[in-house]
Amino acid sequence: MSRRELAEAVGVNNQTIGYLERGDYKPSLELAMRIAAYFGVSIELLFSFRPFEPVADTLRRAAAAGEQPQ
Amino acid sequence: MTLLGKMDRLVYATRLDRILFMKVQPRTFRWSPLLVLAALVAGYVLMAKTVGSPNRSFFIGWMLFYGAFLVAAFLRIFGPRFTGTVLDERELMVKSRAYAISGVVLASFAMLGCFYMPGAGVLGLWQPDAPLDWINLGFGFQAAGNLLPTWIASWLEPRLAADQDD
Repeated sequence: MSRRELAEAVGVNNQTIGYLERGDYKPSLELAMRIAAYFGVSIELLFSFRPFEPVADTLRRAAAAGEQPQ
Repeated sequence: MTLLGKMDRLVYATRLDRILFMKVQPRTFRWSPLLVLAALVAGYVLMAKTVGSPNRSFFIGWMLFYGAFLVAAFLRIFGPRFTGTVLDERELMVKSRAYAISGVVLASFAMLGCFYMPGAGVLGLWQPDAPLDWINLGFGFQAAGNLLPTWIASWLEPRLAADQDD
């Protein structure tokens, strides 16, 4: 999915989506709820006061955990 | 094709529609408004010094001042989005903060000007005297009213990422 598609879906400028991704803009509760509703997840899964763990670290940890039983 | 139809096609052919309907990708201007402000002030001073007897420096001042006036309008169009399509919540926040700060700055200058004018008369300092001085001052405030929100909003906007158009 492109930024433009998400921006059109939630009714904001695509630049705003870019700023959200980079953590340069804190959305209103309404926009956060719209984005969460669009993806069908809870707000906590998308926005947090603490920085999220990088995806690469999550995948690495998951891979390590998956390898352990073998 | 009717004349109106031809005119309509001309708007799209010349890409004026991008300006008219604010389709241009907004840019940030963090330093250029300062240059334009400096040109406005320099142009005003040059004109004010020779307003009674226009000479070469008057016309240089005129070109500087009104050139800067035009550039200010263009920066307003191509800078952070303030009008046109419906603004989203972030753009509205940037706009309101930029205009609030600009309003305070311009009002402060106007207030200081009110104190300066009678004092300048007493102390024999320069003050706008000729009608042209006042007209130029009005245009100067108008240009500053375009430049300041653009400049402030450019600093309020985070820098654009390279892949911002995705």
